[in-house]
Amino acid sequence: MCSRAARIALRLVLTVVVLALGWLAWTAYSVGGPRNLLGMWRYDQREEGNLRVGDPAPDVLLTALDGTTDSPLLADRGDKALVLVFGSFT
Amino acid sequence: MAERYADRAGFRTVYIKEAHPEDEWQMDSNEEEDVCYRQPRSLGDRLAIARDFTERFDYPIPLLVDGMDNGAMHLYSGWPERFYIVGADGTIAYKGAPGPHGFLPEEVEAWLDEHPPAAAVPASADVAVEDTAPVS
Repeated sequence: MCSRAARIALRLVLTVVVLALGWLAWTAYSVGGPRNLLGMWRYDQREEGNLRVGDPAPDVLLTALDGTTDSPLLADRGDKALVLVFGSFT
Repeated sequence: MAERYADRAGFRTVYIKEAHPEDEWQMDSNEEEDVCYRQPRSLGDRLAIARDFTERFDYPIPLLVDGMDNGAMHLYSGWPERFYIVGADGTIAYKGAPGPHGFLPEEVEAWLDEHPPAAAVPASADVAVEDTAPVS
């Protein structure tokens, strides 16, 4: 009887240890550098958006590289088309 | 591309929220290429990274920086990278899909190839139509 109780206790302890290790690994991965599927799940912000071909292009005020000049996105287009490239460094 | 098609289109880059900063979804390629930045918390931070970018690549296309409200990014759903073409009439003429898989310069080039500047349209086109029109 004592032996059976000891085996159950041992299994419980082992289960708790395995779960704790799993939780620690998950936390370390999440905090230390989420990449691939986990990063995609947490940070992917891709969306199709509501703009459609033929819609008026919305304008918005942006900042020039000098940090002091505000410039509308669609300013000074002239009579030509304007190719917009959205992106970042990373 | 910007130089090649300068006769028919202007080009403008909108610098938006970082896609793969080191405190979010950093990629191995960022480390390999030494492009490691934290997600900017201020416009000054964002401007500093944008300047690093233009200087590192001697980037020739005019670049404007999105505000910390990410207004342009939200309006155009531009994250992480995306092409649009605004026609001369001010409407959306081409809308690319979000990058990286939908970021396709060849689609932009195809649109530009199909839309030469007005001056480049042969003046003989109208004459040709008249020449082939039936005489009544």
